Amino acid sequence: MTSQRASVPAQLDHILHEMSEVRVTPKGERRVRVDLAADRLPTLLQLLKGHGGFLHLSSISCVDWPETDEFELVYHVWSYESKMLISAHTLIAKSPGRFVSVYDIHAPAGFYERDIHEMYGVHFEGSPNLNKFILTSWHGPPPMLKSFDTRAYVDETYAWRDYNPQWLKDIAAKGGGIEE
Amino acid sequence: MSENAGSRNPLQLRDQPETCRTADAEERSAWQRVIGRFADNCRARSLFVLHYCTGCGAIELPPTITSRFDMERVGVSPMVTPRQADILLITGYVALKTLKRVILSYEQMQAPKYVIGFGSCTINGGMYWNSYATIKQLDQYIPTDLFIAGCMPRPEAVQEVFLELMRMIDAGKANAWRDYYRNYDHYLANQQALFGPQWHTPTDIVAEAKHYGLMGPGTTGPHTRLLDQHAEWALDRIPEDYPERGENERSER
Ligand code: SF4
Repeated sequence: MTSQRASVPAQLDHILHEMSEVRVTPKGERRVRVDLAADRLPTLLQLLKGHGGFLHLSSISCVDWPETDEFELVYHVWSYESKMLISAHTLIAKSPGRFVSVYDIHAPAGFYERDIHEMYGVHFEGSPNLNKFILTSWHGPPPMLKSFDTRAYVDETYAWRDYNPQWLKDIAAKGGGIEE
Repeated sequence: MSENAGSRNPLQLRDQPETCRTADAEERSAWQRVIGRFADNCRARSLFVLHYCTGCGAIELPPTITSRFDMERVGVSPMVTPRQADILLITGYVALKTLKRVILSYEQMQAPKYVIGFGSCTINGGMYWNSYATIKQLDQYIPTDLFIAGCMPRPEAVQEVFLELMRMIDAGKANAWRDYYRNYDHYLANQQALFGPQWHTPTDIVAEAKHYGLMGPGTTGPHTRLLDQHAEWALDRIPEDYPERGENERSER
């Protein structure tokens, strides 16, 4: 599916040409979205870094798709030369939820992977450190999962303050007040 | 003071050096009240604030401190360390990780110390009411003297609460800090509920309570006993050849 390659900048087209089965969607003058299979992602990052000057991995983001039981990982790489941002999207199965680390290509990935591991439970093989990062006293499931019920967790962990003064009752009697 | 207080004036003792006497409890407490009243009055006029800028509300503090509202004109001034501060101002939401640091800072402060919860987040969680990561009621973990409602409170409200605190100190009513000693087990229970039974701080609150005569029925309890267990556990793990081990054992026995 390379129908949209025509509008992709020439030097990028040159790189993506070396890979098959990638879908390239230009999103703007300097933003490109790439969709590809998970096993090709490290190759793409390597090629972009080596041949396209995409040296800067600005972030890795993760989306939890409960309907299809998949995680979507998005790698954002930036080139200082062509001033262009490529977002590479890939889908991995939620179980076992494993993926390969790209720490050897972009060292900052170590932090992003540690963060995603903590918040979503994705395990990155070869990542230098997947210890607790921000949630030091956390014993529950990864909290950014859609299946995690924040309200139920709060109800059972924290106590609500009892506050029901007369003026609030008066407002409620007139049909106003707090609604959930 | 009562009628006969004049005849017990200690200054008169100079004329009779041979009659050496000690002040009785009633007299001593009368003097303590006078001195305490004077000290409270002075205390209320020189307050240093450690503003622990946890949440977004901290942005209201620069205008409060600097020329526009200038809180120094009422005698309140910022301070950078907990040991020299009188007021701990918690400006906004407190994440679990932050709460640990807040408790450590609070315990390092010298009594008398006052805590002000700033913004709705410290009262009932505010707009983070359903967040898994932030606490909902600051006063469950450290005793709080005053709260400022609002998201976020304006500098006028901050100044009003400082003035109210000064009135309370002057009247000897800002005593929440004593509650931490008297009911330490309660606060520790809430802390342990979040951080686990291993939770402990470097400050020995029970020993401080003993030292200052602030032991209450709730100072020790099932949760402070966990602290003792932890101390024993840690002592067991000091290596044999560690030079201080002998000292610890000696002081234990
Ligand atoms: S009360 Fe409002 S302004 Fe203050 S920390 Fe909470 S959300 Fe932020």
